[in-house]
Amino acid sequence: MRSRLLTVWLVLAVPAALGAQGLTPRDSALHALNRLAYGPRPGEVDSVARVGVMRWIEQQLAFERVPDVRLAQRERDFKLLDLGREELAQRYGDALRQRREMQREMAQSGDTTRPRGAGPMREFRELGGELQQLAVVRAALSERQLREVMVDFWANHFNVFVGKGADRFLTPSYIEETIRPNALGRFEELLSATAKSPAMLFYLDNAQSVAPGASPPRRQPRAPRGLNENYARELLELHTLGVDGGYTQQDVIAVARIFTGWSIDRPQRGAGFAFHEWAHDHGEKQVLGVSIREGGMDEGIRLLKLLANEHATMHHVSRKLCARFVSDDPPDGCVDAAVDAWHRTNGDIRAVLRAIFTSPDFWAPQALRAKVKTPLEFVVSAVRAAGAEPDSTLRLAQVVARLGQPLYLQPAPTGSPETQAQWVNSGALLGRMNAAVALAAGRLPGASVDLDEVVPATENYEALVDAVNARILAGTMSPHTRSVILEQLADVKDPMQARMLAIGLALGGPEFQRQ
Amino acid sequence: MTISRRVFVKSGGLALVSLGLDPLFVNRAAYALRSSTQSPAVLVCLFQRGAVDGLNMIVPHGDPLYYQERPRIAIPAKDLIDLDGHFGLHPSLAPLKSLWDNKSLAAIHAVGSPDSTRSHFDAQDYMESGTPGMKSTSDGWLNRYCRHDQEHADTAFRAVAFGPQLPRILAGTSPALAIDDLQAFGLRVPQEGARDKLTRAFEELYDGAATGLLASSSQEGFAAIQILKRVDPAQYQPANGAAYPPGRFGRSMLQIAQLIKAGVGLEIAFADLGGWDTHVNQGSSEGQLAVRLRELGLGLAAFAQDLGEGMRNVVVLTMSEFGRTIAENGNSGTDHGHATAMLALGGAVNGGKVLGRWPGLDPASRFEGRDVAVTTDFRDLFGEILARHLGAADLAPVFPGFSPSPQRFPGAIRT
Repeated sequence: MRSRLLTVWLVLAVPAALGAQGLTPRDSALHALNRLAYGPRPGEVDSVARVGVMRWIEQQLAFERVPDVRLAQRERDFKLLDLGREELAQRYGDALRQRREMQREMAQSGDTTRPRGAGPMREFRELGGELQQLAVVRAALSERQLREVMVDFWANHFNVFVGKGADRFLTPSYIEETIRPNALGRFEELLSATAKSPAMLFYLDNAQSVAPGASPPRRQPRAPRGLNENYARELLELHTLGVDGGYTQQDVIAVARIFTGWSIDRPQRGAGFAFHEWAHDHGEKQVLGVSIREGGMDEGIRLLKLLANEHATMHHVSRKLCARFVSDDPPDGCVDAAVDAWHRTNGDIRAVLRAIFTSPDFWAPQALRAKVKTPLEFVVSAVRAAGAEPDSTLRLAQVVARLGQPLYLQPAPTGSPETQAQWVNSGALLGRMNAAVALAAGRLPGASVDLDEVVPATENYEALVDAVNARILAGTMSPHTRSVILEQLADVKDPMQARMLAIGLALGGPEFQRQ
Repeated sequence: MTISRRVFVKSGGLALVSLGLDPLFVNRAAYALRSSTQSPAVLVCLFQRGAVDGLNMIVPHGDPLYYQERPRIAIPAKDLIDLDGHFGLHPSLAPLKSLWDNKSLAAIHAVGSPDSTRSHFDAQDYMESGTPGMKSTSDGWLNRYCRHDQEHADTAFRAVAFGPQLPRILAGTSPALAIDDLQAFGLRVPQEGARDKLTRAFEELYDGAATGLLASSSQEGFAAIQILKRVDPAQYQPANGAAYPPGRFGRSMLQIAQLIKAGVGLEIAFADLGGWDTHVNQGSSEGQLAVRLRELGLGLAAFAQDLGEGMRNVVVLTMSEFGRTIAENGNSGTDHGHATAMLALGGAVNGGKVLGRWPGLDPASRFEGRDVAVTTDFRDLFGEILARHLGAADLAPVFPGFSPSPQRFPGAIRT
């Protein structure tokens, strides 16, 4: 009942607040589509404005009820989704063995020419590449846009690096089983799922962390020795409390001791989480002034609960969410609103997001178009704006990579910052212009486009540029941009050529880099 | 477009061979001449990703343990190029011998990280962030150098990495270009007239409407395009008969030489080359490692030859995340070790020497009983080059939590 009342209040009261901010229904629909989604498709600003922006936001929050048939069909192209961790691990092992064999033969025969891009690893790499392309296809096609945005957010917050050893075959299940099911759930469950995930245990070396002096019951040739603080430190600094979250080096060591034994059972076979009793440090531990009594694996579970409910965690994660959704340096108001919602709901991510989307800071004029798109956001929003269809090859993900964001390939546990400095450099910007021109010419690798559907060619260039503004830039084209494009079209004879140029300049120009 | 070609002749002067001299071209040539007389210091960093076997690159042949530990992969004495009676060059590096003899090439042995990790991923990360053991550092030490050393103007080409992405070592708030290929930088339109028109259109769009970082970055990009138009990478001819090896590395070295000669304000260049992770059949005088070293040697030698006198103000430094085990493994290869060797090449280098304190291969002096111990923290070597070659005034912000000290500098730069 309470939630229904809340929804009614949202649908009725917030639009009034929007009006007070001077936003038209189209302005607010565009803003929501830029932030909660990967930009509008042609005509979508109007359809969201018609439904009512707050109602659309509620639909996106309750994504389970949004049908997503087209994406489900496209997902069938991805073999990766049919393969489990174990099978991927096996395929990777086979590829590795075959490659070694090939190298051995080559060295013996004195043949030193290494075939590039060929060999047994290739098939596995292609399969691995599906992971990146799948992210692009889902972002472009899913009707559950907010969920895709949140999967991207959490995959970055709980970053793993697909290039590190076993993470080559552990990352797909990390995305499917750890991140996606929890992206709009409760933070505590998401945190605990990442802590137990083989991908994270391997990436941040916790699988190697054992109590000082402990050794396995059966002799192993390369048994790990001693404590590894890597996961413990990043858990506190990045995943929960934040770098200024008030913990000490002693806390890091205590957390590392608590997680001794949290490991992976035979990673080369893709096996899952295992708790190794022999590796666990059974002593007394103190974290953030709290005593954690001896309890084997349960110590870690208690600790994660404690961390998830620390005020510093709520503040750190809420601020990062606001940096994603509101502005690079978000105002305190929306952060406080998110933290309040977190307290009230025990970390229900939907409630936290709702608090952000209803805060005045989210709708403030200075928040509109305040953020520069990431390469993924740029490519996907351009594909959506032009009504293009991404194919199932790796090529579009490679475009995203060339623009500076190779997906799941960020080696540092920090992931990428939620700020523009990461993405904007001159080479990358020229890359965006090239991608825009290529898309407008129907030559962007991995995307097919039918511009007749979006902006029909015409010899009336004023009308053409107005249509590009309305259909592709959702009305954001500045008078300056309009006049520069018209100037460029002045000596172009062919209307098809003119349309290509106008769309290329519009998508590659400054307005479209912002959201 | 006029077809023009510049030929740098031995005297260091400038000869022009041009069809259809136009005033613009004369201006360009004059610019090139002017800038070649006041060339600033340049640092070229080359990352050997995968951990090069320092012991087979700069071979301690005077140590009998070297041959005992590596029955199948040691470089036989007859193939080695002896350097000082104790160390020798891998035969694939023969093209570098004359640079050693004229004292512009030095090796620094037993250099590495104070962190004990044997993970490529972590060790590369630490070598690029410049903060071993600290994972949360978000920027790279070369970028921090650029940020804190404002003596050198931030031109579009001050810091350039050759590759599709900006590497960790140059990540950060100071501007840096990632260029996959100089010839492909800019807008990709085949026909020159159309390309120029489109470039001007985008430039106008951004001039009028962009703000903040979008505005400054687009300005840098268009400035770089203008400069490259003048440099005309497609027409470049290496000087002094220099022949770069085919492949990505040779092309990167050629383009770095080209940017240096063009006088576009290049101070930091970065390129990487892979294939050093020789766990299986690494070979000896011939084989896998030999092939990789040959490419490195040919690329460095061609670069030095191409720049000629220009090497006076250039230092090339190789680096790799760690070394490899002293003993060969069961697969005639080597596993991840600790210290490795790095090469420094250039007019400012204190060359003709193997620098650094050599800890020996004796089991008692090994790191964790198996690997070459680190006697030079890589930050002392990097710091020395920044301070003594580039003239960095303050190394504290470049290597936070560490104070590179002149007493510990390995002496890679002539003082």
